[in-house]
Amino acid sequence: MIDVQNLTKRYGQATVVDGLTFTVRPGAVTGFLGPNGAGKSTTMRMMLGLTRPDTGTARIDGRAYVDLTYPLRHVGALLETSAPHRGLTARDHLCWLAQSNRIARGRVGQVLETVGLADAARRRIGTFSLGMGQRLGLAAALLGDPPVLVLDEPVNGLDTEGIRWLRDLLRSMADEGRTVLISSHLMTEMALVADHLIVISRGQLLADTGMSDFIGRHGRSYVRVRTPEPDRLARKLEGGGATVTRVAGGGLDVVGMPAADISRTAAAGGFPLDELSTHAGSLEETFLGVIGEEGRDSRV
Amino acid sequence: MRKAGTPVSETLAAVRAETTKLRGIRGTQLSLLLFAVVSILIAALDGWSAKNALESDNPSLRSDFTPEQAGLDGILYGQLALIVFGVLVVTSEYTSGMMRVSLLAVPRRGRLYAAKMSVTALAAVAVSVPVTVLGYLVTQAALGSHGSSLGASGVPRALAGAVVYLTLMCLFAAGIAAIARNAVVPLAVLLPMVLAGTHILSLIGATREMARYFPDQAGNELLTVHSPHTAFGFTVLLAWTVAAVGWGWVRQRRWDS
Repeated sequence: MIDVQNLTKRYGQATVVDGLTFTVRPGAVTGFLGPNGAGKSTTMRMMLGLTRPDTGTARIDGRAYVDLTYPLRHVGALLETSAPHRGLTARDHLCWLAQSNRIARGRVGQVLETVGLADAARRRIGTFSLGMGQRLGLAAALLGDPPVLVLDEPVNGLDTEGIRWLRDLLRSMADEGRTVLISSHLMTEMALVADHLIVISRGQLLADTGMSDFIGRHGRSYVRVRTPEPDRLARKLEGGGATVTRVAGGGLDVVGMPAADISRTAAAGGFPLDELSTHAGSLEETFLGVIGEEGRDSRV
Repeated sequence: MRKAGTPVSETLAAVRAETTKLRGIRGTQLSLLLFAVVSILIAALDGWSAKNALESDNPSLRSDFTPEQAGLDGILYGQLALIVFGVLVVTSEYTSGMMRVSLLAVPRRGRLYAAKMSVTALAAVAVSVPVTVLGYLVTQAALGSHGSSLGASGVPRALAGAVVYLTLMCLFAAGIAAIARNAVVPLAVLLPMVLAGTHILSLIGATREMARYFPDQAGNELLTVHSPHTAFGFTVLLAWTVAAVGWGWVRQRRWDS
């Protein structure tokens, strides 16, 4: 459980994080979303005791990160800006991390195996590809078998297989009752893995809600209709108050009229329907919509 | 394996981790090796050329030459590598973003800094003791019949003083590196200073008095056989070291990633 209370950070005139309050609960994957510069990374660094907040607190299971005894056993963290020394081998890097927190040495081999770096254990980190470096960072996060994971852009540099592996890993970690917080700018990835969302913009909280609730409330759902006579059906539907957008292949995207009404309208007019399907808005669209609204509001 | 954490056991764990880091990074290892090789090589050359000079009554030999003092010349050159070591140990944290990883593992900044400085000092002592003694013996062997012994008057004390000097200079360099947070500035200041700078100042009448208070010049009293100013030299070098390490600590504590 991560508890953030009224967290604020200013750099000179700029308020990067502005009175943030939220809780990250165990047993779920929580996605941390926001446009570039929204304050995600700064918030994560404050959670981990790397940056001092101007006001407010960030607690992990009731304690500030710096007060945790052997913190790697409580929290596994991956930050974009942290990188191990290039001259160390992967094994040496994990060994000193294990020693610093009195983690059993056997864990080093285990996590190298888990992230698929067992064969590269004795290679110097400077020779690693971006993806291998990311895997090593994840190995370091998993080293202490922590009940809390805080991962900043964990899919960066991973290949398709790696992304899939990470998704399964995060899912199983959450199912085991651990607290998992991840940030990502890849919306499709976030939509696949997160159960819960915390959305921030300009350092302020915009939403703290379940994934389906977020899309249900803020997203634009539509009905996809396919018929041999799209133009005539479109006029009929528009006459009934719906907004219709034409898509490639004679399809129509209908907003503002439920599928049942569309079906009746089509039947009444004698239009054969090749497709009638309801779609929830995508996370990406919903996110952009919410961020856009917030932008307009704050300009007023 | 999972012991309950007390502040002491947490600090010891941090010290062990720093030792592993130090052993794993090539640059720091190499500088320690260089210290040993340069010190002993110079010690051998020094003894050999002094022997030739003595046997040919060459007037180029310094008037204050003693075989005992010549046995401590090697480390005066070798110390450059030890200064590089002190700088690299600290700056290796800042080059790649390693410091953030270190602070995630050991978030108490005082603990991390103390562990780093302790391991630096321990490593300096561990290499200084054998290199100082061996360097002295190598010079005496090269001097042949002109050589002195390990137990000669004032020698054990000067050898011990040399170890203290080398360790403090190494820590001083580490402290300067923690202040600068990069390797370039400390090396650009420290190496010329130790190599020639303060020696030149000590030759100029107007700056001679001032030069006595520089860390390396003051510290040289420690490894001068029968020096009357050992206590003075030690105090001045210690003050420099404490100041550098202390200021480095202030910088580390304020470091905001």
